[in-house]
Formats: sequence, C-alpha cells, structure tokens
Amino acid sequence: MPLSDSFYPEGSDGGPCLRGSRCSECGTVVFPKMPVCPSCLCNGVMAEAGIGRTARLFSHTIARVAPKGFQAPYYQAFADLPEGPRIFTLIGSECPIKEGVLRDGMELRLIIEPLAETPENRDVLAYKYVPAGKDRADA
Amino acid sequence: MREVAIIGVGAHPSGQFSGKSLKEIAHTAIWNAIEDAGIGPRRIETAYVGNSIGGLLTGQEGVRGQVILQHSGITGIPVVNVENACASGATALRGAWLEIASGAVDVAVAVGAEKMFVGDTARSISALASVSELDLSEMGMQFTTVYAIHPKINIKKKMSDYGWSLADLAKPAVKNSFNGSLNPLAQHRRRLSMDEVVNSRVVVDPLTLYMCSSISDGAAAAILCPAEAVSRYSSRKPIRIASCVLRSGAYRLPGDTAPDSATIAANQAYEEAGVGPKDLGAVELHDAMAPAELMLYERLGLCGLGEGPRLIDEGITTLKGSQPVNPSGGLCSRGHPVGATGLLQIAELVWQMRGEAGERQMEQPPKVTMAQNQGGLLLGQDSAAYAITILKQ
Repeated sequence: MPLSDSFYPEGSDGGPCLRGSRCSECGTVVFPKMPVCPSCLCNGVMAEAGIGRTARLFSHTIARVAPKGFQAPYYQAFADLPEGPRIFTLIGSECPIKEGVLRDGMELRLIIEPLAETPENRDVLAYKYVPAGKDRADA
Repeated sequence: MREVAIIGVGAHPSGQFSGKSLKEIAHTAIWNAIEDAGIGPRRIETAYVGNSIGGLLTGQEGVRGQVILQHSGITGIPVVNVENACASGATALRGAWLEIASGAVDVAVAVGAEKMFVGDTARSISALASVSELDLSEMGMQFTTVYAIHPKINIKKKMSDYGWSLADLAKPAVKNSFNGSLNPLAQHRRRLSMDEVVNSRVVVDPLTLYMCSSISDGAAAAILCPAEAVSRYSSRKPIRIASCVLRSGAYRLPGDTAPDSATIAANQAYEEAGVGPKDLGAVELHDAMAPAELMLYERLGLCGLGEGPRLIDEGITTLKGSQPVNPSGGLCSRGHPVGATGLLQIAELVWQMRGEAGERQMEQPPKVTMAQNQGGLLLGQDSAAYAITILKQ
C-alpha cells in the first residue's frame, strides 16, 4: 500500500496513529492492513484499527550506507506496538545519530515527518518513532 | 517421479564486467554447461532462467530468459522466466528438475544470471532493496540491516545471547576468503586476515565491510536429464538430485516459536533424500552476510545453538575439515550475483563431487552435498523464498 495510506497524521485523539487491522474472530492485529487474518486465516473479518501511538524499541542499528533517496548515516529499527505487531521503522530526525542514544526496550512515540531530507523524499511524509517521555534523547 | 541427474554445469566468473551485458555473461555459463555435458544444444527441450533485478537495472523488464537464450542460440523451446530474489537460481533449478522428474521432457537447462554493475552503486543498492516487499524497501530498509537487527536473524542480539564476539562474526569471512583465494571464478580472491575483517569499516553495526557480500555480475547453468538415461546423453559422471525443496516464508507474529523456515525446508530435504546433517560431505550456503553462516549451521542441523564459531575453530567446516562449508568462497568471496547464486552453488558442488574443483578441491570428493539458497523479505517477518537442494553421487 502507498506509504501515505499507512498512517493518519491526526487520529481520533488528535495525534498520529498507524492504520493496522484487527481480526474480529481471534483479535490478531497486523500492520500494514491485510484483508485476511494471518493467524486464523479468516477472510473478510479484518477491521481497520488505529494503532502504534506508542511502541517499545525491539532492535536498532545505524546504517552507514544508503539507497537512493536516503542519507547515511541513518537509524533502522524494529519496534513492538502495544497492540501486537512488530514492525520495521525509521527513527525521527530529532534523535541524534550516535551510539548509545537508543536502548533496546525503551519507550517510543509515533511522529510523522518527511521520509528523508533528500530531493526524492523531502516531500514524502512517513511514520517514524522517537524516544518518548523520560526516555527522551535530549532529557 | 523419475530420479534426475545433473550432467553438465558451467559458470561465468563473478565480479565486475563493465563491458559485458547480461546475455553475454549468461552465454558463457550456458555454453560451458553444454560443453561440460557434451550434449548437442538441440537436445535441450526446455529452459528455466533465473534473474532477479535485471528489469530494473538493464531496462529489459520482460522476457529476459528468451533474450538470454536467443543470444546463446537456443530458441523455439518453452522458456520460463524465474524471479525469486536471491533464490532465483535455485528456483530455476527446481523448475527444470520438476520437468524431468515428471516425465514431461528429457533434457532441460537451468540458468541463473545477474548484471549488477551498471555504473551507479546507489541504483544497484536500491534495486537490491526492492526484492523486499515494497512497504519495507520504500522505508529505506536494507539487507545489511536485516541481518543486523531483523527479529528472525538479529546478529546483534546473538552477540549478547551467545556471547559471540566481533571476531566470531568475522570467522566465516576469514575462512571463506581462503577458499575464494583458490577459486579462479571468485570475485574477491584476496585472503583476508581476522584483523582486516574486524577492522574494515562498519557498514551497518555490527557488520563490517568484509562481512558483507558485494554487488556482482555473474552467471551459472546446469543441464539435467533422467538419471536412468544419462549414458544416452553424456559421458560425464552424473550427480543425482536427491531432493529439491522450495518454500515461501511464513507470516510470523511476535512470540512465534515455530522453527525457522530454513530449518523446515532443510528437514524436508533431508527426509526426501533419506539423509541427515551428518551425511553431508560439503555444503554451499547463503552467507550474504558472513555471520549468517554461523546461524545457518544451526538451522541446517550442523551444530547446536550458538556453537557456530566452534565449527570453524575446530576446522570442521574449513576446506580440509570433515564438512567443508562454502568451498567456493561463498557469497562474500566467490560473489553474489543474486539470480545466479543458487546455480553457482550447484556448479561448485558438482565440481567438488567429481573431483574437478582445482586448487580448492576437497581431498576426498564428497558423496552427499547440500546447497542452501534464500532470498527476499516479506512484511510478515520471514524471507520470501527458501531453497534446499541435496545432491548425491
């Protein structure tokens, strides 16, 4: 699905959220949305759900090379959403890129910002996570 | 199903061949295989041609197989184009194998070819990233990252779980660079020291440059026929395909404790071939990033959890060991022209089993060998394609 369809900049609570789907049969939540539940294999039972306002950092690294449209160095990460999915994500640009700033297990919050500060992607909005609350990088 | 034999293999060296096109690189491999089998090209009844990113990189989006084969003089026969990311080569082999096993045809060729050097490295890296599901690649996810932190591999976490050091991660690269130094078909023929691998620049923490396979041009081909009819077509010593397994990744929810898909594919291949891990005399496996070799030892049943570095320390998987792994030099040294890799693995194993591997020949040609090839990445947190082939004398 297009990147712009994978999130709402302003969800029901006014803040951003990801557009996942939840199975009405078994409760499995997935992101991005799917028409079939990958757990119980029921079709037509997935309903859209606003998810991922917060997350917990599962793993992260700093990439020192970049494909076209991205600038190295940049963070790459996997995050666990409280609703269940474990997703690939980028880290917001407010977070300084150096070893020790991020810790696996730390709390994150969702932000929406340009995918990358490159001619190809500066006008493309994307979902990313940044350290939340007391885990704020600048705290 | 009929038993199938490989009667000819051929390869084009891996590396940067800026003056050559995809079909020119493939031509060398195809005709080396034809001449190796000693078969007339008109005997070939069908072809499966594996290529992954040639559409994006060369602009030839459709019918690459027919274009490649026509350049080699092979026309008119059914041609199936195969795209399965880095497992395209093994998937092409499986198609050719099924054609003969089913009795549909008697002689088939499987080809794998890739042209990755196009004068713009960022474009090649982007094309490679696109063999992951688009939702991942458009977010800037790279394969190096997958090996470093993806939940299903997570080399970073293995370092803390198993106590693996950076030197442990480097061991397969050091071992395989020695094998590659003996292989005239290899892309990187310089023998690397532990210091060089550990201290080369970081690409994606904790992976350093020499732990990563690089972009490459290359091709390989294999000619197959029924095992019972080998003498009709070729005087070469036949190598039998004991099993040829292909699986796609599963959708993995967090907390999923099912075995890894590479393990599931390997177990199926062992069962169909009637052999076990201890029977393997040599293995070519998919070390796209060197530390993956340590993980794959576990997943193929060659050792227990976390024991990978020991197999190298004790020399078991070195060229002179009891179970050499990646005698060709593997993806990091021999090269990883993605659509060709699966068939480059097969060619190496055939040469080792015949005793024709030159300076890198194992002392005793192995009787049973395995090729493990995989590719792509899905949102569901598994690779897209897993292929295992077991060969027997």
